[in-house]
Amino acid sequence: MDNLPLSGLRVLDFSWIIAGPTAARHLALMGAEVIKIGSSRRPDPSSRSAAFQVYNQSKEYCSLNLSKQEGLEIAKELVTTCDVVIENFAAGVFQRIGLDYETLTTLRPDVILVSSAGTGHTGPDKDYVAYGSLLQHYTGWNTISGFGNAEPIKGGLWADPWVGMELAMITIAATNHRMKTGKGQYIDFSMAESLTASIPTGLLEYQMTNKLPTPIGNDDVIKCPHGLYKCKGYDEWIAISIQNEVQWENLCNLLSKPEIFENPIFSSPEARRENRIEIDEEINKFTSSLGAYEAMHIFQNCGIPSGPSLNISEAYLDPHISQSGYLTPQIYPDGATRLMPGMPWKSDQDEPIHVAPAPQIGDSNHRIYLELMGMPVDVYKEFIRTQIIY
Amino acid sequence: MIGSQNTGILGDLRVLEIGHGVSAPYAALNFAKLGAEVVKIESLEGDPSRTHGPFPDGIAHKEKSALFLAHNHGKKSICLDLDTSYGQQKLESMFSHFDLVVENQNLGFFDDRKLGFEKTSSINPSLIWTSILPFGDVGPYSEYIADDLVLFHMSGNAHGMIGPVKRPDVEPAIRAGGYQAEMVAGITASTAAMVAIHQRLKTGRGCRIVVSGLDSMITMAISGIANSAFGQPPPTRELSKEKGSSIGGMVSAIGGVLKCSDGYVAISPREDAQWERWLELMGNPHWADDERFATRESRQANVSKLWELLTEWSFPRSKFDIARSGQEKRIPCFPVNTIEDLLVDRHLDSRDFFVEISHSGAGTLLHPGLPYKLNNADIPQSMSSAPGLGEHTQEILERFTKDG
Repeated sequence: MDNLPLSGLRVLDFSWIIAGPTAARHLALMGAEVIKIGSSRRPDPSSRSAAFQVYNQSKEYCSLNLSKQEGLEIAKELVTTCDVVIENFAAGVFQRIGLDYETLTTLRPDVILVSSAGTGHTGPDKDYVAYGSLLQHYTGWNTISGFGNAEPIKGGLWADPWVGMELAMITIAATNHRMKTGKGQYIDFSMAESLTASIPTGLLEYQMTNKLPTPIGNDDVIKCPHGLYKCKGYDEWIAISIQNEVQWENLCNLLSKPEIFENPIFSSPEARRENRIEIDEEINKFTSSLGAYEAMHIFQNCGIPSGPSLNISEAYLDPHISQSGYLTPQIYPDGATRLMPGMPWKSDQDEPIHVAPAPQIGDSNHRIYLELMGMPVDVYKEFIRTQIIY
Repeated sequence: MIGSQNTGILGDLRVLEIGHGVSAPYAALNFAKLGAEVVKIESLEGDPSRTHGPFPDGIAHKEKSALFLAHNHGKKSICLDLDTSYGQQKLESMFSHFDLVVENQNLGFFDDRKLGFEKTSSINPSLIWTSILPFGDVGPYSEYIADDLVLFHMSGNAHGMIGPVKRPDVEPAIRAGGYQAEMVAGITASTAAMVAIHQRLKTGRGCRIVVSGLDSMITMAISGIANSAFGQPPPTRELSKEKGSSIGGMVSAIGGVLKCSDGYVAISPREDAQWERWLELMGNPHWADDERFATRESRQANVSKLWELLTEWSFPRSKFDIARSGQEKRIPCFPVNTIEDLLVDRHLDSRDFFVEISHSGAGTLLHPGLPYKLNNADIPQSMSSAPGLGEHTQEILERFTKDG
C-alpha cells in the first residue's frame, strides 16, 4: 500500500450517486486513502444497486449527519487532516451547510476542493436540476449519434463515467500543482461542459460549414466498408472497419473475391461508399455462417480490424478482459468470489493497484473517529446515540 | 527539466506527442490546455486527421480539417521521418528535454526503431512514456488491431446507445459519433500520465504506462460490469421485453424526449413530487386524474398513451420555454440542444466556456475550453491555433537536438 502512485494522499469524499464517487474510486484504486462520508438520514441513492460496489471500491465509509452542528464540526476536523475534498451536491448546497471553500481554507490552507455539479457553480442556470441522462441531451452529446432525421437517441449511461475520469484527472493535476507550489485549489467542475468539450469536431464542423453534423450510425465519413455485419446467431454481429487499401485487398482475398478488389468502381473508400450494397452483401454472405468471435479471429488473422458487438455481460466474460489483468478476484462478505474491475492501464513501476470491495456505511467509523481523530470512546458512543454519527 | 515560459497548472511540463488521429492527440491536448508545452511529431505526410475533414465550405485542405484543428491547438509541429536514421537520431536526442511522451503507434513501432522505453529511460530516467494501444500489450488480443467502431462495440457500450429496438436481428447496436472510444482512451491516458507525474514528484523516477483502449471503454460501462459481477442480466435489446427505465428516443415513466415546435425537450419528472409540479406546469390537465397515470408504476404501464398526451401539450411549444419554466418549478428538464443552440447558450456564455482561436486558414472558431474553473492556477487565457505541418521543425530542432 505504501508504493502505490497516490499513497499518502487522503481524500474526504462527500459525493454520491455516480460521477463524484467514480472519480474518488479511481483515486482509491491508485492508492489514495478515500474516506467516504454519508448519512443514513439521506442514503446514497446508488447504495441499493450492484453498481455501488464499483463506484465505491477500495474506500473507507463513515456515517455522519451533517444536518447537525456536531456532525458538521466533526467534518471540519476531518478536513484538517485531508488533502482533497470531493463533493457533487447541487450547486450551493455545500456552501449552505457551511463547508464553502473559504471556510475549508481556514481549516487547511492548501486544501483542494473538488466541486462537481450538472452545470457548474456560476451562471444563470447553475441551479438547474440535472441528471446525467438529461445533460447528454442539453450538451449536444446525443445529437451527434444515431441517425439523421430521427428522434434523439437514448445515449446510454455515458455522462457520469466520462465525468468521473475527467474529475480524477484534474484532481490529480491539482495535487501535482500543490506539490510544486504549495497552493491549494478550488475546482468548479461542470458536467455539462465536460460533455460538450468531448464533441469538439462537431462544434467546429458547424462553424466551418454552417450545417449541423448529421449522425450516421455505424457508418464513417472516410472509411468503407465500416459497420456491423450479421453473424449466424440471433442478434449476433461483428464490427468491421477497413482503414486502408491493404486491408481492403486482404478483405477481398478473404472473401475469395479478387475481382471486386480489381474492379475500379471499388477502388477507393469514396467509390466503395457509392457502391456499398454489393460489398455489404458479400461480407454478410461470408459472416452469416460464422459466430461473431469466430469471425473476429478470421478477420484479425488477415490483418482486418474487427470485433464482436457485445452486450455488457458478454464483454465482462470476454477472454481478453478476463486474461489481461483488468479484472481482479475479490472475496465478498457473502462468501462469493467476484471478478471486479481495476484501472484501464498498467505501469511498470507501481505496486499492483489497490482493489477492495466497497464498504457499507459506518464500516470505518471506529477506525476514523477513534483511531485517526482520537475521539474519546464515551463521546463516540454518545454521538452514535444522538444520531450525529449516523 | 528546463523551465519554459509557459504558465498554467502544469507550469514547466514538456510533452512530446507522437500520435495521430484522436486518442493520443486528445490526451496531449489536455496537457496543452493546462499550460504544458506540447511538441507534436508528425510524419512527412502529417497526421492523417489533417485529411479527414470536415473542411470550411467543404473544400479539402490539409491545414483546415476540423478533426485536426479540434485536437491540436496550442501545440507545435515538427516533421520527422522516423523510418530514417536521421529522424530516429533527432527523436532520440529530444528525449532528454521532455517529461512525458504520449503515443498511439502500433505495438512494436518504437522497439523496431530501437527507440523503445528501455532506450529512452536510459537517456532520461525521469521520462514518463504513455502508450495507447487498442488492447494493451498483454492478453490474447494484444496483437489485434481495432479502431473506434470496433472498441465501442466490443466494450458493451453500443447496446445502450439506441436502447431496445423492435427487430434486434436487423437493427444492430450503434457506436456514438465523434470518435468517442478514442476520446475515452485519450482522457484515460491523460489521467494515467497525471498519476505518473504525481509519483515522479515523490520518487524522481519515470515509468512506462500502457493504456488499453478496450479496458478504457469497459471502464465507461462500469455500472454494467458491476451488474454482471453480481449475476444480473444485461439490458434487453428487445423492445417488447423492455421493462426498466430509459430516457431518450425510448420513453418511460422515468423520462424521455418530447417533440416541440423547435425540436425536442428532455424531461425526467421521475419522483412523485416532480410529477405533481410537471402537471402544474401543464395546467393540471384533467386526464392526469385517471388512475392509469396516478403512480409511477401505472404511468409506466401506460407509457405510450402517456407520451401521446404529453406530446399533445409540448408540440406547439418551444423546447427552451418548457425547459426554463420547468426548471423554475424544480423539474429536471433540458432542451435537446443542437450545436447551433450550444454556441449561443446563455449559461455556457456566462461561464466563458467557449474560447476563440484564430487560425490563419480556417478563420476564427469557437473551441470548447476547460470544463472547470480553477481559482489558484494561472491558466493560459489564449492558445495558439493548431500548427501547420512542420511549422516548428527548425525551432524545435535548434532547441532540443544537439547539432540542430
